[in-house]
Amino acid sequence: MNKLYIFLKYFFIVVWTVFVVAPFLWALTTSFKDFQSVNGGVTYIPWVDFEPNLEGWKVLIKSPAKGGVDIIEPYFNSLFVTCTASLISIILGTLSAYALSRYTFKAGFVKNNDITFFFISQRIMPPIVLSIPFFLFLSSINLLDSLTGLIVVYIVLLMPIAVWIMVDFFNKVPREIDETALIDGCNPYQAFIKVVLPNSIPGLIVAGMFCIIFGWIDFFFAFILTFTEVQLLPVKIVALNSSVTPWWSLSASALVSVAPLIIVAFIVERYLSKGNLSGAIK
Amino acid sequence: MAKIDLSNISHSYNPNDPNPVFALNPFSMTWENGNRYAILGPSGCGKTTMLNIVSGLVRPSAGRILFDDKDVTDLKTEDRNIAQVFQFPVIYNTMTVYENLAFPLKCRDFSKSKTDERVNSVAETLNLKSFLNSPARKLTADQKQLISLGRGLVREDVAAVLMDEPLTVIDPDLKFRLRRNLKEINEQYKTTLVYVTHDQNEAMTFADNIIVMSEGEVVQTGSPKELFERPNTTFVGYFIGSPAMNLFESEAYSNDSVKINNTLIKTHTNLSNLKTKNVKLGIRSEFIKIAQNQNENLIDVNVEKVEDLGNYKLITAKMGDFTIKSKVTRETEISSQNVKLHIPAEKCCVYEDNKLI
Repeated sequence: MNKLYIFLKYFFIVVWTVFVVAPFLWALTTSFKDFQSVNGGVTYIPWVDFEPNLEGWKVLIKSPAKGGVDIIEPYFNSLFVTCTASLISIILGTLSAYALSRYTFKAGFVKNNDITFFFISQRIMPPIVLSIPFFLFLSSINLLDSLTGLIVVYIVLLMPIAVWIMVDFFNKVPREIDETALIDGCNPYQAFIKVVLPNSIPGLIVAGMFCIIFGWIDFFFAFILTFTEVQLLPVKIVALNSSVTPWWSLSASALVSVAPLIIVAFIVERYLSKGNLSGAIK
Repeated sequence: MAKIDLSNISHSYNPNDPNPVFALNPFSMTWENGNRYAILGPSGCGKTTMLNIVSGLVRPSAGRILFDDKDVTDLKTEDRNIAQVFQFPVIYNTMTVYENLAFPLKCRDFSKSKTDERVNSVAETLNLKSFLNSPARKLTADQKQLISLGRGLVREDVAAVLMDEPLTVIDPDLKFRLRRNLKEINEQYKTTLVYVTHDQNEAMTFADNIIVMSEGEVVQTGSPKELFERPNTTFVGYFIGSPAMNLFESEAYSNDSVKINNTLIKTHTNLSNLKTKNVKLGIRSEFIKIAQNQNENLIDVNVEKVEDLGNYKLITAKMGDFTIKSKVTRETEISSQNVKLHIPAEKCCVYEDNKLI
């Protein structure tokens, strides 16, 4: 029974690992192939099945004048927009979440829970509903096709995630912690910064991770709100496609675009496994 | 360190409602500097509300709070210099034990050397010295509660240390030692200690003044002896003492005697101004003994059971419909039928409308 359980457990882990990792391996090998080795039948192993070359990778950094696509600038645009928008969303979201968790608001029939739901409802809406308002809004303040405009839009999209996660998190942090800090002589701001916030690092990390992921992978708004001046990575990658699909450079760009998320995942995983999340509350 | 005056304090959590429900009915009280007080009462009687009003976490709906005759009703919690320990340990998880204990001093800009000295002294008292550099979250629940307690004691000039059932999570042996420690701290530093509990033993052993509360009302304030011997109301008689006070429905018979089931019991209470003849006679089971050679205030009972509780025997007996409990020494011989019990007149309390006459 026990052996069967262990066998099944590992069996499913192996199947799942293959399912998750295989596409990456496939993309990795494909990125070193050329037209011939992609279209001339199935090949797997470099140097045996096909002769690897770096053309797929070189195209990504060559300027368009030399026949490349240059994803470096969009890459850093994406990094900048995602990080800035995430950071601002986390700061604003955490502050609102703390207020929503600790103080009572009432405007007519609107109470704390309704306000929290209002934030979340922004994400329940299909994004396409927001495209025209966002377009008109950015065009009216002359921020279409600019990094600042994208940051503004991403804050709107990411803050609800931060609020949602942090409200839930703060609700689980006992109110007595704030009260004790007040009794010990902090004012409410100090109590928040010195006591509640350090206790909420796990929540901040989770919220930050979600913001970065959702900001990084967004294609839709990056596509409709930018034209020529500014480009984000997802849009640039899609633009790589042509009548002859360049599988090698598409694979290479897919890998570099996933890289930051993998790094984030590794850092969070390290943090999790060090036990820093356990015992944080009670 | 301060004298704390609560003057006409009352509190309702829905004061704007047409029919507000009062968690605390109006009362006034003075806590003298350096004394030990226990607030005793069943769950939900307003004990915690009272503490939160003193610490400033709750603003009373009406009334004023004075620290050393200075009105602090509108003063914020952080400016009151008060310490409060909650029922469950509240520690700052991200800090070490030392940082936890030093936090109240850090918030008030104490010097490094003064902080060191105070933290070490408190850690010594609470047996936390060897943990000072460990992360606070790694400690056990009772050690965490010691930290909470320590944060309350680390300031010498604190107006009062308020404790809300602080020893619930601590094991009995340590509980006993801690209560003694708290007493010593109180005697040494003359810190006013206020201790909320629903455990009468805790209240009795800890405090020199006990405040008994019931349903938002302060029912009686007094020393453990007063509460035990002369409970103001039948509630206090029932709530304090184990077993509860014996209470008998009875009839006022003459100026100083009542009649229970045709048995006449003399009391030392003047019963001449009663509105009704129906009164209750209250007597502690500790004072009811097996009759030796007394010739009045005797009742005939049938013994139902005798429990040996180690240091005493508890007799449960019946007189008609009434159940009587009596605590006697272990050596007492008890026959099972027709026992005569003696009720000392000076220990009888007579209640009209559940209030002591």
